[in-house]
Amino acid sequence: MNRHYELPLDEAAYSFGFLDEFAKREIRRTILKAISIPGYQTPYASREMPMGRGFGTGGLQLTLALIGANDTLKVIDQGSDDSVNAVNLRHFVELTCPQVDTTERTSEATLIQSRHRIPEHPLSEQQILVLQVPYPDPLVVVEPSEARRKVMHGEGDYSRLLTKLYEDIVQFDEITISHRYPTRINGHYVIDPSPIPRYDVPQLHQSKALVLLGAGREKKIYAVPPYTNAAPLVFDDVPFRIEDFREASGARRACDRCGACDSFLDEMIADDGSKSWQCSDSDYCNEQLAVNASPAEVKA
Amino acid sequence: MGYVAIKGGGRAIRGAEAALEALRTAEGEAGTPLTLDAIENQLRLLTSRVVSEGGLYHPRLAALAIKQMQGDTLEAAFALRAYRSTKPRLLEAPLQNTGQMRLIRRISSAFKDIPGGQMLGPTSDYALRLMRLDLADESPEAFRKVSSQFMAGVSDSELPDTFPKVVDALRSEGLLPPLSLHHQHAFDITRDPLVFPVPRSAALATMARAETGSLLAIAYSNMRGYGDVHPTIAELRVGYLPVMLPHPVTGEPIEAGEVLVTECEVVAMYESGEQDGPTHFTLGYGACFGHNEVKAIAMAILDRALQKGMRDGPSNPSEDPEFVLLHVDGVDSMGFASHYKMPHYVTFQSDMDRLRTTQAKATEQQGVQA
Amino acid sequence: MSEPRRIFTVDHAPSTLQAWQAPTQQAAFRQLLDAFSYPGRRVELNTEEDALVLVLATLLDGGVTLADPQGLVSADDQRRLGVMTVNPEQAQYVVMSGDHVPDFQPVLGTLESPEQGATLILKVDSLGGDDCLRLSGPGIEIETALSVSGIDPAWWALRSSWNGAFPLGIDLILVAGNQVVALPRTTRIQGAD
Repeated sequence: MNRHYELPLDEAAYSFGFLDEFAKREIRRTILKAISIPGYQTPYASREMPMGRGFGTGGLQLTLALIGANDTLKVIDQGSDDSVNAVNLRHFVELTCPQVDTTERTSEATLIQSRHRIPEHPLSEQQILVLQVPYPDPLVVVEPSEARRKVMHGEGDYSRLLTKLYEDIVQFDEITISHRYPTRINGHYVIDPSPIPRYDVPQLHQSKALVLLGAGREKKIYAVPPYTNAAPLVFDDVPFRIEDFREASGARRACDRCGACDSFLDEMIADDGSKSWQCSDSDYCNEQLAVNASPAEVKA
Repeated sequence: MGYVAIKGGGRAIRGAEAALEALRTAEGEAGTPLTLDAIENQLRLLTSRVVSEGGLYHPRLAALAIKQMQGDTLEAAFALRAYRSTKPRLLEAPLQNTGQMRLIRRISSAFKDIPGGQMLGPTSDYALRLMRLDLADESPEAFRKVSSQFMAGVSDSELPDTFPKVVDALRSEGLLPPLSLHHQHAFDITRDPLVFPVPRSAALATMARAETGSLLAIAYSNMRGYGDVHPTIAELRVGYLPVMLPHPVTGEPIEAGEVLVTECEVVAMYESGEQDGPTHFTLGYGACFGHNEVKAIAMAILDRALQKGMRDGPSNPSEDPEFVLLHVDGVDSMGFASHYKMPHYVTFQSDMDRLRTTQAKATEQQGVQA
Repeated sequence: MSEPRRIFTVDHAPSTLQAWQAPTQQAAFRQLLDAFSYPGRRVELNTEEDALVLVLATLLDGGVTLADPQGLVSADDQRRLGVMTVNPEQAQYVVMSGDHVPDFQPVLGTLESPEQGATLILKVDSLGGDDCLRLSGPGIEIETALSVSGIDPAWWALRSSWNGAFPLGIDLILVAGNQVVALPRTTRIQGAD
C-alpha cells in the first residue's frame, strides 16, 4: 500500500454540533415534513455517529440539528439523568456544542432528549421533546417487508395489527403489549411511540410541546405535533390500561424516597431480597423531595 | 455555562475507559506499542477488511482504528465510518475503468488459459494450512531479509502491468450481453435512505461496505441451494486502481492516486435477455476496497441473486433485496446487538406489569371455577 | 462630507451573506419549526437581509430541487444555494409570489411516500391576526385567526383540491417582510371563499 501519505492532523475540526451543515439541513427538511404528516415515518439519510446504532443516534441527530447556543438541554435514559447512556450523550453534546447549557431540571430545559420515558412534568410550548426509537414501525410484528408496510400505512389499513391485538385478548383476556403501545396520530397513522411505558402514552395526546421521534438505524423521523390527537389502539370492550402500581391491599404505591403517588416507579431488589420502589423520573423525585421536606430540613 | 455534575453513571464510564486502556497495555514493562506500519503490513488483510467495511479508503487510519479497538473489526470499521461521516464532500469521481488496474493477482476459473495468463500472485489458496511454528519466535534479521530478496533479479520492464478483461472476450463472442453505459446517476447510500425497490447501484454500494461474514453467510445459503446462481468465476483480480479525477483547472483527467481493490465477475445461468432477445449468460459483479476475495465473490453471487429477485420476485432470502441489504451492514447490526446491553428496566417494569396482570386474571378465573 | 468607505478586516464578520452562516440558519430553522408546529402563528425571522432568501438558504441545498418560475431568486443566490432548478411540476420546493396564480400542479406525493409532496414558499404582502381565515387542526389548540394580503384567492381553492386526499398534498410557507407563517397540509382553513 502507498506509504507516501500522512495521517490527518485535524483531530477535532468538527463544525458546531458535529454534523456538517448538509446533514443538518437534510434532517431539518425531514423534520418539517414529518410535522406536516403527523405520525408518518419520514425517511432520511441518517449519518453514522461516534456511538453505536441502538444507542440513540437517531435522537442525537435530531438534537444536533435543532440545538443552538440559546438552548438548555436535558438528556435522560429510563427517566434518569445519571443513567450511563444519558451521561454519554450529554457529554458528547457538551463536547461538540460549546455554548449550550445542560441541565437536570425538566422545567429549565428547552430541549429534552429521552430514551424510554416522557418526563412526569407536563411540557410547555417553549420545549421540544426528542424520543429515541429502536423500532419505528408498529406493523413490523405483522409484516416483515417495509415496502408492504408503507402501503398499509398509506391506506390507513391496520386491520392485521388489530387482529393481532385481538388474538392477545382471546388468549390472555388482556392486550399484552407492555411498552411501544401502538397509538393512532391525528386519526390516520399508527405509530410505535418508542419503548415508553403505557403510562406515558396519554402525554402524547394534545401535548403543548412538539414531540419528535428519531430512529437512527432505521433512518426514520416522525412527529406528534402539539395539540394533536394521539389515541392508543383499543377495542370497545377492552380499555387501554396504564401500568398498575397498586399493592395487594389496593392502595397505590408511593415512592420510598419522596412519597409521590403519581409517578412511574422503578422496582428495585435489595441485597437482602426486599423490594423498594422509587420514581423513575429522577428530576421529579428530587422536586417532590424538596416539596415534601419539612421546613427544618429545607432551612438546613 | 451550566453543566450537570458527573455522578455515578459518569464515574462508571470513566472506569470502563481506564480498564480498557489497562488491558490494551497489559504487557507492561515488557511491551512495545504496535506501530501503524506493523498493522498495515503484517496484518494487511485485517486492514483491508476494515478499510472495506468502514467505507473509507485510508489504510493508515484503518490501522489506527484496529490498534485503538484492540483488533475488533466491527468496532474498527465503525470508528472509520464515524470519522468519514464528518468529512466534507469535495466532488464525485467519474466512472473508473478497472481494466486499468495495476494487478498483483488475476485468475479465471472459466478458462484454462486467458490473455496474459493465470497470475496467482499472493494467495494462500493452494497453501497447506499447517501452522508455521517458526513464526512464533521470528528473528528481525530473517524478517528484513525476505523483502530485500523478493523479486531481486527481476527488472520492472519484465512485469506486465495491466491485463485485458476476460468478460470483454465473452462479450465480443456474444455470450454476455453488450455493455451499455447507462449514464444513470449512481444511488448514493450515504445521502439517501434505502426505500425499496432500490436500483442495482444501491445494492452494489451497500454490499461494497457490508460486513464480510454477513455477506458470506447469505451468499453461502444461495450456493448451497437456497438459490440457483451456479456461478463460474470469469475473472477475479486484485490490484491498484488508478483514481482519475478532473484537473481543477484544465478539467483533463489526471491520476490522483491509486486504491487497492478486489474485483470479481461471475458468470451465472443463462436467461433470455430483454424483450425476448438472444439468450446470454448473466453476470454477477462484486468489488470492494482492499484485498478481500471471499467478500468480492460473495458480493458477485448476491448481485446476481438480487438482480433475479428484483426482476422475478424473490424465491429465497438471498434473492430478497430487503432481506439482504438491510441486514449486512456491520455498523447497524453490531450497534443494535450491543444496544441490548443498555438499561431496559422501565420497559421491563412494563412487561412485568402485563405478566402479573395476566397471571392474576388466570388465578381469579381458576378461583371462580373451583 | 461624504460617507467614509467601510473596510472589512479579517475579524469583522461581513454583514452581508448572513443567510449562509450556520448559526443564522439554526436560529431561522427554529423559527420555521415553531411556525410548522403551531400553524398560523406568525414568527419573526431575525435578519437585516431578505427573509425569503434566508428561508431558502436554511432549507435548500444541492440535495433538493427548486422551481422559480418567476425568477424571484437572483443568479448569485441560486449559485450559493447550489440547488438544482427544475420545472414546477417536478420540484420539491417552489418559490412564487402570492399574487400570481400557479398554472401547474405541484408534486403531491404518493400513498407510500407522501413526504414527496412539495413545499411551496410564497412571498406575500402582509400577515396579520385579523379574523379573515379560521385555522384548525394539528398544532392549533382550538382555532387561530389569520389574515393574508397579497395572495390571490385562487391559491386557497387550489390548496384545497391538492390537499383533498391526505396524506397526499403540499405544505405552504408564507413570507411577508420578516414574518413567516406555515400552513402544513393538515391545517383546515375556513373562510377562504
